[in-house]
Amino acid sequence: MTLARQYVRSILNAKNLLVYSFLLGFLLYMVTPFLITLFNSFGKGWYGMRWLPQGWTLNWYKWAIEVADIPVIMKNTLIIAGLAVAISTLIALPTGWALGRRRIPSKELLTALILLPRMIPPITFALGVAKIFYGLHLVDTFLGVALAHVALAAPYAILVLSATFEGLDERVLEASAVCGASPAQGFFYVILPLILPGILSSIIFTFTTSYNEFTMTLMTYGPHTVTLPVRTYLAVGEGYWEVSSAMAVILIIPSLFILFLIQRQLQPEKLVGGFKGV
Amino acid sequence: MSDFMIEFVNVSKRYSDIVANDHISLGIQRGELLTLLGPSGCGKTTALRCLTGHNHPDEGRIFIDGQDVTDLPTYKRNLGMVFQNFALFPHMTAFENVEFPLRIRGLPANERREKVMETLKLVRLEGYGSHFPRQLSGGQQQRIGLARALVYRPSVLLLDEPLSNLDAKLREEMRFEIKDLQVRLGITAVYVTHDQEEALALSDRVAIMNKGRIEQVGTPEEIYESPGSQFVADFIGLSNFIEGTVTAVEDETTYLAVDGLPLCVATTAEVRVGQKVLAFVRPNEVELAAPGATGPNVLTGVVEKMTYLGDKVDYRLRLGDRLRLRVQSGGTMRFKPGEPVAVRLPVGRCRVIGGEK
Repeated sequence: MTLARQYVRSILNAKNLLVYSFLLGFLLYMVTPFLITLFNSFGKGWYGMRWLPQGWTLNWYKWAIEVADIPVIMKNTLIIAGLAVAISTLIALPTGWALGRRRIPSKELLTALILLPRMIPPITFALGVAKIFYGLHLVDTFLGVALAHVALAAPYAILVLSATFEGLDERVLEASAVCGASPAQGFFYVILPLILPGILSSIIFTFTTSYNEFTMTLMTYGPHTVTLPVRTYLAVGEGYWEVSSAMAVILIIPSLFILFLIQRQLQPEKLVGGFKGV
Repeated sequence: MSDFMIEFVNVSKRYSDIVANDHISLGIQRGELLTLLGPSGCGKTTALRCLTGHNHPDEGRIFIDGQDVTDLPTYKRNLGMVFQNFALFPHMTAFENVEFPLRIRGLPANERREKVMETLKLVRLEGYGSHFPRQLSGGQQQRIGLARALVYRPSVLLLDEPLSNLDAKLREEMRFEIKDLQVRLGITAVYVTHDQEEALALSDRVAIMNKGRIEQVGTPEEIYESPGSQFVADFIGLSNFIEGTVTAVEDETTYLAVDGLPLCVATTAEVRVGQKVLAFVRPNEVELAAPGATGPNVLTGVVEKMTYLGDKVDYRLRLGDRLRLRVQSGGTMRFKPGEPVAVRLPVGRCRVIGGEK
C-alpha cells in the first residue's frame, strides 16, 4: 500500500479524523492572530469584512524604523535584557549550587519562595516596585528596568541551574582528580563542559523573559528606557494599528530565532550532566 | 618498610563520633592483589579513600612506593582507579575518556593515540573509541574505566567494588579479565568488595575488616581454612558454631564437652581445661551417616528441616538437647524431616576459635 493511500486511510479512520480536526482547529486558533498581525503589517487598506488587505506595502515598517525610532528602542530592549541576564545569572549561580548540592533545611519551602514572583500576577507587585524605585531614583534607568525584570527572570535561572548542578556527579570529579587533573584542570575539562548546556539554557530563559516583559517595564520605564513590548502597546493606543503590527512582527523575530536554536541544539538529556549507572 | 608497595601505618579516620578506620596497619606487597573485604560500614571504602587522597586520615601515615603520601593531594599520587559506577566523563567519547590522563600529563597527540589504542586493545574495545558512555553497556563502560585507569601504567591500581553494578554472569567474566590484566601488567592492586566469592577468586591476600578494624589478613586459603575469629569464620563461607568446655588438651587434639557429649577438635588455639570455647565446623564438611553409626565425634539426632538446592541439600539438625547443626551434603543419602540421623565431625576439620579468655 502506498504511503499516500496509508495517509488517506488513516485520516478517514473516524478516531483519527477527530484528532486531526482538533489539531487543525488548535493550530488555527494559535496561528491566526499572528497571521492577522503579519498581514496587517504588510497590508494597505485592510478594514471591514475583507479576507485580505487591498494592497501591500512596506510603509509601516518604514514608519516604525524612521518615525517611531525602533532601532533605538531595540537597542534599549537588548541592553536591558543583557543586564537582566547578567544579574540573574550572578544571583542564580551560587543559589543554584547551594540548592543543588547542599543539604538545606526546608528546601521545598525555599524553592516555593523563590518561585513566588512567577506565581502571583506581576501587576500586583509592579505598583509596589514602582513606588520603591521612585524613591531610589531607579525609574527610567536601564538598571532599574533590568532589576524589575530580574525578579521574574531569576527564579527560572535558579531552577535550571540547581537542576544542572544537582546532576553533576562528584564521582566524575573524583575520577578526574585520580587521573591527575588539578582542581583547575578538573574545572575546565570536566565541570565546565558539563554545566555549560545548563548555563546556556538559563541564559536563554532569562533573556526571553526580560525581552518579552511588559507589565514590569510599564511600571518602571521612562522616555529613555522604552522597550519594544511597551512601544508596541503605546502604538496601539496612539491609533496606529498597522504600525504597531509592524512593531509586533519585529518583536517576534528574535524569539522565533531563539526558539529555532533551542529545538535544534538543546536536548533535555544534555541539560544535566549525568550518566548511566548508579 | 620499602618492601611494601603500599603501607598503612596506624591510620585512623573519624566521622563525628563514628570511627570509620581504627588504627589500621597494613602492608601490601609489590605486584599483589589485596582485597579489603567486609560488610557495609566496616571501613573498607574509607581506607581506600585515604589511599587515594579523597580522605585525609586523622592519625597515621600512608606510604606508596616508599614515599609518604599522607599529605599529598589526589592528583599528584599517580594512581589508577576504577569506580563502582564507572564514573566516565559523559561529555567525552570512550577514546577521549581513556586519553584524558595522557592529555593532563602533556603527552603529544600521536603518542597519546598510540597508547590509547594499545590500552583499548587490552580491554578488547578497539572499535568503540568514538562511542559515548551512554551508548555503551555496563560491562563496556567498566572496561573503558579500566582502560582509563591503566593507560598511563600507574604502579598502583585501586578498584572500588567495580563489579557491583554488573549482572552476575558479566561479573564472573570481568573478574577473570581484571585479574588477568593485573597479573600481565604486574600492577599492585587494592580491591574493595563485600562479595566474598570475588575476594577469594581474585586475591593474593585478603584483609577482612569489621567495624573499622582489620580482623585478619591472609591468603584466601588461610582465611577460609583457619579463620582467626568468630566474625571471620562467620563472614567467609558457612559455619556452625558449637559451644563447649575444654576437658583435656593434647598436642594435636583438644577434647571438649558439648552438651555433655564428648567432641574432639584440632588444637588450634591456646586453651586451658575448664575454659568455655567456641568450636566451628563448616556445614559441607560434616559427614552424614545412617543412624546407629558409632565412632569418635559421631553424634546422633533428628532432621528438623531439609532444603533441596539442586547440587546439594541443606539440612538443619537437632543433636542432643540444645545443639543445632547445619549440614550441606551432596551425597546420595537423603533424609526427610523427622528422620533420625547421625553425623560425624571430622576431627581435622573442626577448630577452636575464640571463646572466653
